[in-house]
Amino acid sequence: MVDLAELTSMIEAALPGAEVAVEDEDGGGQHLRATVKAPQFEGLSRIDQHRLVKAAVKERFDDGAIHALSIKTEVAG
Amino acid sequence: MADPQLKEKVEELVAGNPVLLFMKGTPEMPRCGFSMRVVQVLDSMDVEYGAVDVLPALQPLREVTAEISDWQTFPQLYVNGELLGGADIVEEMFASGELAEALGVEQPATTAQQEPAPPPQQSPPLQIE
Repeated sequence: MVDLAELTSMIEAALPGAEVAVEDEDGGGQHLRATVKAPQFEGLSRIDQHRLVKAAVKERFDDGAIHALSIKTEVAG
Repeated sequence: MADPQLKEKVEELVAGNPVLLFMKGTPEMPRCGFSMRVVQVLDSMDVEYGAVDVLPALQPLREVTAEISDWQTFPQLYVNGELLGGADIVEEMFASGELAEALGVEQPATTAQQEPAPPPQQSPPLQIE
């Protein structure tokens, strides 16, 4: 089972000061959505913002805990 | 480690097509909802694009794109040699007008009105499981 709180704290640890929400859209752990608002996104392209978020949870992709993660990013003002 | 020959081929395709979509299935028959969403966005814009069906070589292509653009999931839309993003990013950039800007085309006028999609011209093929 996917640990949403762990994913949230992994992203928060990688992007200090970020507002992070991770939801399980279908309740089965197959469609996760991360909404991340971070000051570190300033000046980055969307793909680079997404890369930062993916890198933060890479371990959970690698060990098979998560398969798909939708990401929505926003620059914190 | 990605297959060097396949990697070279992918790099040639990316360099040779200003707008290139790696997708599951074909634009005529997408095999994945995320790929279909990107096709719908591109088809709504006046832009020519190349499309590569990744399904016949999914894992080798994942290894290639992991190396060239640090991205392993499909669809992937490349514009002028750079990975722009997958379905989430493409839709977000379409809605904001950034995609039209990146592609150098006019934003289609209909987007502001949220028109329902036109009905398909024919029913989808039936599948017998």
